[in-house]
Amino acid sequence: MNRSVWKTINGTIMRTVATLMILPLFLMLLTSMKPEAEVLNPENVVPRVWTLSNYQQILGWAEEAPFGRWFSNSVFISSAVTLGVIVFSAMGAFAIKRLRVPGGRQFLGLIIGSMMVPGQLFLVPLYLILSKLHWLDTPAALIVPATAGGFGIYMLSQFMEDMPPAIEEAALIDGCSPAQMFLHQTLPLCAPAISTLAVFTFIGSWNDFMGPLVFMDSVRNYTLPVGIALYQTSYYTEYGLTLATSVLAVTPLLVIFALFQRQIVSSMAASGLKD
Amino acid sequence: MQRTGFLFLAPYAVSFAIFVILPIVVSFVLSFMRFDLTAQSSAGFVGLDNYKEALHDNYFWSAVKATLLFAAMIVPGLLVIGLSMALGINAMARGRAAVRALVFLPGMLNIAVTGILWQWFFNGEFGLFNFALKHFGSQGQPWLSDKAFAMPSIVLMSVWWTVGGTAIILLTALQQIPGMYFEAAALDGASTMRMFRHITLPLLKPVMSFVVVTTSIAGFQMFGQAFMLTRGGPELSTRGVAQYIYETAFNSYRMGYGAAMSWLLFALISVFGIFQIRMMRRPA
Amino acid sequence: MSIFSNLGIRGSILGLAAIVAGIGVTRSCEGGGIVTSKHRVDLTFWNGFTGPDGRRMLEIIRDFNHDHPDIQVSMQRMDWATYYNKLMVSAMDNRGPQLFVVHASTLPRMYRSGFIENSARLYSGTEAIPSADYDPYVLEQVKFKDQFAGVPLDIHPQGMYTNAEMLRATGITQPPSDKASFMRALRALTKKSGSGDATQWAFALTLWRNNFQSLIPQFRGRYLKPNGDADLNNPGNIAALQFLGDLSREKLIPPPENGLGWVGYRQKKVAMVWDGVYMLGDLLRLQGLDYVAAPIPQIGPQPGTMADSHVLCIRKGLSEAQRTGAETFIRYLSKNSIRWAAAGQVPARRSVRETAEFAGMPVQSAFARQIPFMMYPPRTPVLFEVTLEIDQAVEKVIRGNADAKTALDLANVNAQRAIDRDRAEQKIAPSGGQKP
Repeated sequence: MNRSVWKTINGTIMRTVATLMILPLFLMLLTSMKPEAEVLNPENVVPRVWTLSNYQQILGWAEEAPFGRWFSNSVFISSAVTLGVIVFSAMGAFAIKRLRVPGGRQFLGLIIGSMMVPGQLFLVPLYLILSKLHWLDTPAALIVPATAGGFGIYMLSQFMEDMPPAIEEAALIDGCSPAQMFLHQTLPLCAPAISTLAVFTFIGSWNDFMGPLVFMDSVRNYTLPVGIALYQTSYYTEYGLTLATSVLAVTPLLVIFALFQRQIVSSMAASGLKD
Repeated sequence: MQRTGFLFLAPYAVSFAIFVILPIVVSFVLSFMRFDLTAQSSAGFVGLDNYKEALHDNYFWSAVKATLLFAAMIVPGLLVIGLSMALGINAMARGRAAVRALVFLPGMLNIAVTGILWQWFFNGEFGLFNFALKHFGSQGQPWLSDKAFAMPSIVLMSVWWTVGGTAIILLTALQQIPGMYFEAAALDGASTMRMFRHITLPLLKPVMSFVVVTTSIAGFQMFGQAFMLTRGGPELSTRGVAQYIYETAFNSYRMGYGAAMSWLLFALISVFGIFQIRMMRRPA
Repeated sequence: MSIFSNLGIRGSILGLAAIVAGIGVTRSCEGGGIVTSKHRVDLTFWNGFTGPDGRRMLEIIRDFNHDHPDIQVSMQRMDWATYYNKLMVSAMDNRGPQLFVVHASTLPRMYRSGFIENSARLYSGTEAIPSADYDPYVLEQVKFKDQFAGVPLDIHPQGMYTNAEMLRATGITQPPSDKASFMRALRALTKKSGSGDATQWAFALTLWRNNFQSLIPQFRGRYLKPNGDADLNNPGNIAALQFLGDLSREKLIPPPENGLGWVGYRQKKVAMVWDGVYMLGDLLRLQGLDYVAAPIPQIGPQPGTMADSHVLCIRKGLSEAQRTGAETFIRYLSKNSIRWAAAGQVPARRSVRETAEFAGMPVQSAFARQIPFMMYPPRTPVLFEVTLEIDQAVEKVIRGNADAKTALDLANVNAQRAIDRDRAEQKIAPSGGQKP
């Protein structure tokens, strides 16, 4: 069959697929703006009566539920986690793959093995440890343990392995210290991978439920998704309201994504993950 | 140079030791203990009793079955659909960036939001799917209330949620295959199918292996998806090991037993993980 | 990506079981209990009232704070599942609230952990809450040997909500009160369209487990034998479950999807449902639904329903000032429980129920008529396991996958195993907590 016909068909299919993927989110938004009676009678996709009553009801909780505070908690914690993970992982991967630290390969194997350990195993002991450190109910409880995650260092190690060492070796011959090499050669070369890691880490941290739920006592220290979730569960029969709270929980992340969309997607595409 | 190496590794290593290794060790010890949070005075070492109990526990084995069923469906599902999407996007002349971004979007939702949304879709009475089916003259399906449908429904939601990430990873790998190979093969008269089988697939193998391994690891630990949609029903048929562990440890407060089952789950995961890594390492 | 992102919301909830006892971390309590100058006491009050009833509680607390400048109470609420886990863990770590709510049915488990204070003080002295003001059955639920776990705030029975408009349309003027009239209503009100799809249902199950448990006392069933062994498969229970199974088999109720009955009721597609008095809050926000409440019809040989209570508790280990402040708050709440009733509850205190104001609450009063016949969930520390077994059995039967006897036999075996295991584990060491 003709090449360009194929391409046209393919393009149409892919665009349709993309639209289908996005459709649920769109429906969620539209439905959240319907009055409850209409929600349960889904004849009209587009609301006949548009109402923001669901959102009004949620924001009416604001005297008790500090949305603004939750939002800033989320932004602060997710940013700090992303920064911490990138710094620790980049330095660690550099040490293992570039500086060839003795025992590095085995350590990496241990890290990958630890990723296979079910997450629940960590809840109880982590709580204890954080309690002894007096970090419970503080941001440190959410930020510091996140730096121990294996995904970041594993991923950057993969990427660094594939990078040609020539540029760095040249720098060494020129008399650069490892630290300078790291800062001026390695990091820039890794930028695409680091961007990808940053995106995944930020999203993961933003959506993390266990941390804030378990390690934070005070309501004002919750993050946005957790705080909202705790208030929406009693409305299990009111789908309109429930969907509205979901929209609120997701919107900040989508806005951030939209703002940085170009950088994110292009840098992710540039990163290569090879085994 | 070596000392610098250790210095560079130190921050991660310290964090890892305190927040990963230490908890793992504590959990390991816990698995040999009886520890009921509501009656701590009765705590004590019980040797392998917890492990024995798990191996004789019908609920544990049904949970294993549910977990395996989920993994068996999601791994091929994500791989095939993700690869198809990646190939499709790669072949697009224009508009790639938009499609790429859109398929990735669902992955930005957290599991709670995803669960609520799809619960609404799957609802038997007024859910969107059944409404559409009835509208077009068909009949509604028991998406979440029939054992035969429940797990596939959960898998469907999971695919929607995570296939974007998979597709993008595979797409990246695809884009790094040098175009020369395809041009040379085309000159030799190779068909698209042959090029796919002999160029694309072999070169993609490492990344596909990565996808299979990481998806399996995540699949074996599946919890939120079933919990949000069915709470493990109907009749506990979709209750995976992770949910059973959670209920044991945090509703029945039997920490020791929960820890033991977690380690059994780890054993299951690592067996499959190692097996898959070895399998996909075979020379192309 | 965090390892934890797999766990999801409730999945990740609290496993925080701090092995606190051993570690003995003591901290000054976060957010409360600090005695500031002028002898002001700050107390935190945790509960699971996330619905509109919670807002009502907020108002009551606001008034309390206004009237008692030296005792300031702040409330924190979250969904019940999260709540219990978080409560347990932080209380063990001495970080939790000073005041909290526990369901009477959950008390056996919680009280055993040893962090609930003996509330006997509240029932004696000059400002005593008179224990005679409670139904003996309800008071029994909070007593452990000679200690009181707390003060019951309310009773929330299951009852029947009907759509009066739909009933009237078929000539039924009163909600059915016995099996015969219930079955008549069932057949009269279920309408199917030409294609066989139901356009209207007379009755639907809400939370099927609760619906079953409401029938247990009617058929003279029970959960446990006097010695504490499981008795889930006694003839009364089997008969009760059989009734629901028959309804399902004869297609007199829609195929079960948990909770859907209530949604259908709100949508005016279902004429009658059995649910808790607390669902009233949901109806208050609806317009155009002509709801009339009544006791659950007497399907079995005697009337009966299921109920539970919210119990106000104080944490152990408080300073005298905190404890006194907490007791003052509990007394206030108890005295003002008519305000709490407006949210969709039945006050636990008889004197409050006998007021004209309560009589003016039709739904609550109707549900309260069942108090002499109600049955609480079984008093066992392994309530979660037993309830799960009941839930499984009910689900099997109403889906037509098992008959009542087989399902309950299996449930009984599993429940007994849990009970035996718990007994064996607790006998090994002398109990540090309280035994029910």
